[in-house]
Amino acid sequence: MKGAGGHGSPVPFLLPALLIVFAVLIFPIVFSLVVSMFDWPLSAGGGERHFIGAGNYVDLVKDKEFWNSLKLQLGFIFIAIPLELLLGLAAALLLNREFTGGRVIRALILLPVFFLPVVSGMTWRFMLQPRYGALNNFLLAMGAPEITWLGSPTFAYVAVIVQDIWRMWPFVFMLLYAGLAGIPTDVLEAAEIDGASFWRRLFSVILPLLYPTIMTAVLLRIIDALRIFSEVYVMTEGGPGMSTTLFSLYTHRQAFGYMKVGMASAMAIFLLVISIVFAVTLVRKNMSLEKLEERGGDR
Amino acid sequence: MTFRLSTRRKIITVGVVFFAIALLLVELYPIAITLLNGFRRDIVILSGQKFALSQFTTASYLLVFKNRQMMKAMGNSIIVGLLSTALSVGVGAMAAYGITRFRFRGRNALAYSFLVFRMLPQMSLVVALYLLFRTLGLRDTIAGITLAHSSFNVPYVIWMLIPFFAAVDKSYEEAAMVDGCTRWTVFRLVFLPLVAPGLVVAAVFAFINSWNEFLYALILTGVNARTAPVAISSLIGGDTLTWGQMCAASTIMLTPVFIFTLAMQRFLIRGIAAGGVKG
Repeated sequence: MKGAGGHGSPVPFLLPALLIVFAVLIFPIVFSLVVSMFDWPLSAGGGERHFIGAGNYVDLVKDKEFWNSLKLQLGFIFIAIPLELLLGLAAALLLNREFTGGRVIRALILLPVFFLPVVSGMTWRFMLQPRYGALNNFLLAMGAPEITWLGSPTFAYVAVIVQDIWRMWPFVFMLLYAGLAGIPTDVLEAAEIDGASFWRRLFSVILPLLYPTIMTAVLLRIIDALRIFSEVYVMTEGGPGMSTTLFSLYTHRQAFGYMKVGMASAMAIFLLVISIVFAVTLVRKNMSLEKLEERGGDR
Repeated sequence: MTFRLSTRRKIITVGVVFFAIALLLVELYPIAITLLNGFRRDIVILSGQKFALSQFTTASYLLVFKNRQMMKAMGNSIIVGLLSTALSVGVGAMAAYGITRFRFRGRNALAYSFLVFRMLPQMSLVVALYLLFRTLGLRDTIAGITLAHSSFNVPYVIWMLIPFFAAVDKSYEEAAMVDGCTRWTVFRLVFLPLVAPGLVVAAVFAFINSWNEFLYALILTGVNARTAPVAISSLIGGDTLTWGQMCAASTIMLTPVFIFTLAMQRFLIRGIAAGGVKG
């Protein structure tokens, strides 16, 4: 690998990407950090800005709604992701065999992942409408009473989570399915011929071998779930009340509802730090440059 | 024994097929609803009638095509998608080449930071981008939203292309270098044709990333540069309940995405693991 890669300067090749990254990522991050230390109202003329140091961060800690959004965000992550993992694992185990139409079924199961997030949010909002929504039609047909799902804080929160599970468990499935396909079949068959029960094989052969893939899937899902915005925004706009105002929705409300750009930037920095921690963990664990380079261009 | 094992397998397979079909029905139901309601009138939808073939109409599609704002937004989506894809594939291919075919200090750190950048939440950046774009006059311009989309597409494309560039055998470039080619010529004439499949895959996913993007479009654009996801979301709200139009417009947006995904099965895992799904 050395030799050919040794001479010449990589700078001309890297420079354009670095310039863009600087303009749209690094500079905005630094700028957010600066804004987060100001009392900075959002107004066309600029408004009066005051340097207040850590003032916004102190206000955040004292803000009940901030803690509420954090609680909703964590609840979302801790409920949705384990269920997505469970469903994805079960489906991967069951579909990990050759049968007629298997390829087609696997491809179709993945379609929700590519449903535009906005359209997904709108469709779920539509299905949960009173009178003409599909869920209520079904309940009415069963003789059950009609419920304004998105009008109830609890149901709206559950609906937001169900929407995410519906859309994203196939993503987990696809990763785990690929991981399972990577386990040599003779390892699995040996355990089966030895007469090991299904659960025994699952816990002492399959899961240990699948562990790195599971970790990757969980980290990817956490990173993705931390930034969830559009689906929830079009589904409930964070309501009713503040019942589905997840972290990004509250940040949005601070900036463009309450016009407090400084507070919103403090929240942005907070979310950024958490995301970087998870992203660095993921990258260091499973995405070394050597691994990427070894994988070759065919996958 | 072998006979019994294979009979048992067959029974299990039949069970699995039924299970798979049940899963499919649940997963495809909301998608089917969107596709079907695009062909029904709003009045029919809002009255909660059951589906019937007699309700079939293309009225909602005609309304979408006559809706100037929606058409403009879809045009913007195509333009922004193509521009940001071209920009990120061009710049990203150069960077992937620089990272994989040179040895330099900080090479690993650089590759890692591109990976991490790919995963940053848009909400962390959008407030600062809004203030910056407003100052620079980039708010509500095609250039502005294209630039914003490249904040996730450039790192994404680099990540997608590194394996393709790394897989090229070094004898190709050695031969070219002996013939006196510069690095730039080697990149253009040797590498680009060899990694062409990778460029196509990266371009398709970069386009979908931009096509699906909502948050930047919501905050950074207005009447001029608004893209389709925001336009679709504005079809519903308050007293306007044009579900038929919403479903028709959504179907139009979904068609290219579904065609690409089904055509690119082989690359799906890398595509989605690389953050192809944008909130």
